[in-house]
Amino acid sequence: MIERNTYYPDYDVLDQIEEWDPVTADAVLKRLGPFPALEFLTGDEEQRLRVICKHLVYDNRDDIFDWVIHFIDQTLADEKGEYQRSPDAPPEKILVREGLKAIDKLAQKLYGNDFLSIDVKEQFDILASLQVGKAASIPEWSTIPQKDLFDKLLVLTVAPYYSHPTIWSEIGYGGPAHPRGYYRIELGLADPWEAQRKDVTEKEEDNGE
Amino acid sequence: MENESRVEKESYVQHNCDHYKDHRYDDLEHRKYGDKEVDVCIVGMGAAGGVLIHELSKAGLEVVGIEAGPFWDPQTDFASDELHAYSLNWQDTRLSGGNDALKFGPNNSGRGVGGGTTHFTGVFYRFHESDFRVKSTDGVGEDWPISYQDLEPYYDKIENDIKVSGPKHFPWGPFNGPYPYPEREPISAWAQVFREGCEILGIRSSVPPLAILSAPFDGRPPCTNRGFCNEGCKPNAKFSTLIHHIPKAIQEGAEVITDSMVTRVLVDDDGTVSGVEFNHDGNYYQQKAKVVIISAFTVETPRLLLNSACSQYPDGLANSSGLVGKYIMPHSGHDVFAKFDQEMRLYKGTPVMACTQDFYETDPDNDFVRGYTLNAHGNRPVATAKILTADAGYWGKELREIMLNFNFYAQITMVGEVLPQKKNQVTLSEEKDEYGIPRPKITFSYCENDNKMIEHGVEKANQIFKARGGKPAFVAADTGHLLGGCRMGDDPTNSVVNGFCQSHDIPNLFICGASVFTTSGGANPTETIMAIAARTADYIADLGKKGEF
Ligand SMILES: Cc1cc2nc3c(=O)[nH]c(=O)nc-3n(C[C@H](O)[C@H](O)[C@H](O)COP(=O)(O)OP(=O)(O)OC[C@H]3O[C@@H](n4cnc5c(N)ncnc54)[C@H](O)[C@@H]3O)c2cc1C
Ligand code: SF4
Repeated sequence: MIERNTYYPDYDVLDQIEEWDPVTADAVLKRLGPFPALEFLTGDEEQRLRVICKHLVYDNRDDIFDWVIHFIDQTLADEKGEYQRSPDAPPEKILVREGLKAIDKLAQKLYGNDFLSIDVKEQFDILASLQVGKAASIPEWSTIPQKDLFDKLLVLTVAPYYSHPTIWSEIGYGGPAHPRGYYRIELGLADPWEAQRKDVTEKEEDNGE
Repeated sequence: MENESRVEKESYVQHNCDHYKDHRYDDLEHRKYGDKEVDVCIVGMGAAGGVLIHELSKAGLEVVGIEAGPFWDPQTDFASDELHAYSLNWQDTRLSGGNDALKFGPNNSGRGVGGGTTHFTGVFYRFHESDFRVKSTDGVGEDWPISYQDLEPYYDKIENDIKVSGPKHFPWGPFNGPYPYPEREPISAWAQVFREGCEILGIRSSVPPLAILSAPFDGRPPCTNRGFCNEGCKPNAKFSTLIHHIPKAIQEGAEVITDSMVTRVLVDDDGTVSGVEFNHDGNYYQQKAKVVIISAFTVETPRLLLNSACSQYPDGLANSSGLVGKYIMPHSGHDVFAKFDQEMRLYKGTPVMACTQDFYETDPDNDFVRGYTLNAHGNRPVATAKILTADAGYWGKELREIMLNFNFYAQITMVGEVLPQKKNQVTLSEEKDEYGIPRPKITFSYCENDNKMIEHGVEKANQIFKARGGKPAFVAADTGHLLGGCRMGDDPTNSVVNGFCQSHDIPNLFICGASVFTTSGGANPTETIMAIAARTADYIADLGKKGEF
């Protein structure tokens, strides 16, 4: 894990929530839970997916992944459509469901165990091989294109992850800022309530830069 | 009326009828023009549809606009949040293939009153004179049947109608300002470093013209720099046809029907069109009209024309040339990121606050023709992470580390001209959607000229960053906008509509909006879309006056 996970240890975007319009505040607060029971994913699928999501964004705080899983579950349960899909790939519900099964089968083939039981390094290796479409051959890949599966899981993970207020605080994002807006936008300026960076030089140094 | 491809009402997805859970739009129970044959029926209430319905109803015509999505209320339907804004996009699945398969939804397609204008960035350029005659001057693509001069009065009109803010002097193209409202200032850190980098290299730069208020107008306030233009502007500082043209059209007497998907255009025995069929909440309705205009964007317009095939027009409407759906063009929209020592805070300010068009025109020193605009671009966490993952391939530890430094990156986005190729197209697939209409299949690949231009643009963007002390960090292949598919031209065998957007084959069928572009130009297209729509409206109003429909 990355030890130093923020330049803004004293900043919490939610301190500003009184300044947000109610529609936005409501949408953001819902990400903190509690979440209803899963609609689409089975318990087994949820467990595997949770580990994959954690690897994809390199974090392991379960409260954040409760939200990520809820978002993915809702997206897959809903019938709205997925913007676009490659003509060779099945609809996302099938892509994810069958893809999770295929990942387990791949783990069995390569390491003689299911995905959840293999080493973290082995789990990462499997994901890396999917990204470039070079995972060891199993028949499933003819109907579940590896890259489409990887990209789908990645996009389904980063959208909710980078919408979580804890992550916003860590990266120093100002958040909704409506109706207040921003006044000091030029180089070197920030509004007084925005994230202020601590120990600039120190961080740069131990970043090896 | 019944058609075997239709699906049972029970199997309907709720998506295309209404936006609030358990809420149902009931305007169809008290229609204004229900059984009446109106003068004009417009399909799609976006950038073009909004201008058309406003201008035509002002001219005294009876007009009905039909929109697939909802009538948004910015106060209750928009949030200052990226994830929440997904519903403003066309979410229905499209099949997308080719070497450079396109992304849809938030990348280019709006849904609901306002269409793409509810979530566009508001960058509001005119095209240059050369854009309309690339075949004559550069030997590529095709010439338009209209010139810059034909559109000039309409550019003036649109800019003035919505009070575009822009510089006193804009250095490029035939129009150099001044704009109706003063330029936006101050500009954000990331736009400042762009302009400073340009200056060091001797590249001219400017604050762009924006369809965003710099001072109050029409009861709307100036921009508060919160940066959510792509999520729907809650304060209404950014223009959209949702808040400008369409309410004004309704005041003039127009009727706007929402949550209603037009499923086919109806054809009379004499080969003219007589109206449209649409679906609301699982039920089919008809709207009869003397003139039908389709302004449903680059994918849905050809899809509707092809799906309306009938015995008189077995290959689809307006398609004697075989070109309906062909020659679609995005802009190459590569995103170039550099890391700075100081905080850039990409999330602050209107998303585009500086630009250069120094590389817009053909330069004999280049190994490609035509050119591009560079826009200094702001961004927010989800869109940035998506660019990093889906477009640039980062994940895991690398992704996390880049994102922890989110505040230290600046971005430049290219808007590059893409040459028209016939094989880049919208066709109907075998798969059906919730209405039983074949899903569109879009195929797109860049050509060599496009790729060389991209290389040039990416290199220039990096030079600008480097000159100002930025460290080039990553480049993501991206596209912006989507144009063509029903291109305009003088020759009916080589184009779908004439210079007034009237179909060559069926005189009372018009096609307007992004789909009529003959070439893509190298600049954000919406001002040109709206100028063409205003010119088309004048033409149709004139035909009406002369009693020609
Ligand atoms: C994120 C983003 C940023 C952008 N930024 C800029 C910018 O800064 N500057 C710029 O110039 N351009 C920008 N654009 C592009 C701009 O949004 C489009 O060029 C413009 O909206 C296209 O206009 P149109 O009228 O052709 O279609 P649209 O505005 O897309 O309108 C089409 C409408 O038709 C409706 N429709 C479709 N099919 C049917 C049907 N069968 N029945 C009923 N209704 C239907 C749709 O729901 C939609 O409302 C941006 C786009 C996006 C996505
Ligand atoms: S940056 Fe300005 S124009 Fe854009 S959404 Fe915010 S207030 Fe509206």
